[in-house]
Amino acid sequence: MTTSPRGECSTPIDATVLMDYWLGALGPPEEDVVELHLMTCDTCGDRLRDAIALADGLRTLARSCSLQVVVSDGFVEHAAETGLRVREYAPPRGEGVQCTVAADDDLLVARLAADLTTASRVDLSWCDLRGVELQRQADIPIRADGAGVIVQQSITWAKASPTSSMIARLLAVDDAGGERVLGEYTFHHTRTIPGPPGPQSP
Amino acid sequence: MYVGLSDADLAPRIADGDREAEAELCRRMSPRIRLYALRHLRSSSAADDLVQQVLLKVLESLRSARLREANKLAHFVLGTCRMTVLDLRRSAQRQEELLAIFGGDLVPEAPPMPKLDDRQLALCVQRLKERERSVVVMTFYDEHTAAETAGALGISEANVRVIRHRALQLLRACMGAVA
Repeated sequence: MTTSPRGECSTPIDATVLMDYWLGALGPPEEDVVELHLMTCDTCGDRLRDAIALADGLRTLARSCSLQVVVSDGFVEHAAETGLRVREYAPPRGEGVQCTVAADDDLLVARLAADLTTASRVDLSWCDLRGVELQRQADIPIRADGAGVIVQQSITWAKASPTSSMIARLLAVDDAGGERVLGEYTFHHTRTIPGPPGPQSP
Repeated sequence: MYVGLSDADLAPRIADGDREAEAELCRRMSPRIRLYALRHLRSSSAADDLVQQVLLKVLESLRSARLREANKLAHFVLGTCRMTVLDLRRSAQRQEELLAIFGGDLVPEAPPMPKLDDRQLALCVQRLKERERSVVVMTFYDEHTAAETAGALGISEANVRVIRHRALQLLRACMGAVA
C-alpha cells in the first residue's frame, strides 16, 4: 500500500473488492486489509462511496419491483413478509388465466410450472396470441428442483398496460439451437387503471 | 500548513497541544471512520454517532501521548472503531450516554454521497443477462449472501459471485464509471 500525506494511493482497491466489502462478502483477513487501507486512503474512500451509491441504487430499484426478472420462492415470501402486497398468477400448463393488477399492488409474479429437469438451457418467450414472439428472456435461471420458474413482471408496466393477452412459453434450447416447448401459459390482462386501448387481439 | 504532513505527522503535534493539528486529524479521519461505520452499522445517524465517539477516544489518547508509534495511527483508529462498534452493540444505553455527554459539535460535515441517475441504472440493469439480473436483484433487495442467492437459483455459491462481479462490472461501465 502506498499512500501520500493527503490520503491518496497508487494501489487502489479493485471496485469489485470494495463492493464485496460493502456486502460483507470478504473473509476476515481480506476485510482487515481493506479496512486498514481505507483508514489511510481517501481515493479508495471516494470509490467505496461510489460502490455504496450503486448498492443503494440497486436496492431501491430491486424494491421498486419494476424489473422483469426471474426470482425465487424465498424472494417472493420475503417480499410479502416485509409488507409488500404481492399478486401472483399460476396458470396451469397449457391453459390461460384472467389477470389484473390493483393500484396498491407492489409485486406481480407469474408462477410457471413445468418439468425443467431435462433442459440444459431454458428460454422464456413472450408472444402475442398469433404466436409472434415479442420478447425473449434467454437462458433464465432455473429453480433447484427444476419444477418451474417464477417471473417477476414489472408492476409499473402492468399497471399502465392496456387490456391485452399474452402467451408465455418456456422453451428448452439445445446446443444446436433446437427448441422444445416445455410449457405454455396464456395471460389475459384486464386494465384496471384508465388509459388508451391496447392493440386488438386477432 | 498541514498540507505536506502525513497522518502520522499529526500525532506528536496533537500530543504537544496543537489544536489545529487536532482539527486537521478530525477533518481527515471523519470520512474514513464514517465509511467504516456505514459498513458495520448500516445507518447514517449511527455512523455520525460513531465518528464522534471514535474521534473523542482517539484525540484523548493522542493528547495524553498514549500512542507510542505514530506510524501506527491508522491501526489505532481502526482498532478504536472496532472496539467502539463492539461497545455499541453491547450497550445501547452507553451509546446514549456518550452522545448526551459529547453532543454533535465535533464532527465535520460528512462528504456527500454520489448521486446516481436512477433511470439510467434501470436501463443498465434491464440490459443484463437474465442470470445476472436475477443475481443482482436478489443480492441487493435485502443484501442476501451469495449462499442464499445460490440456494434460491439452483447455482453454486462461487457461480453467484462470478455472475455478481461480472454484472457489477457491466453496470459500472454502463453508468460511465471506471471500474
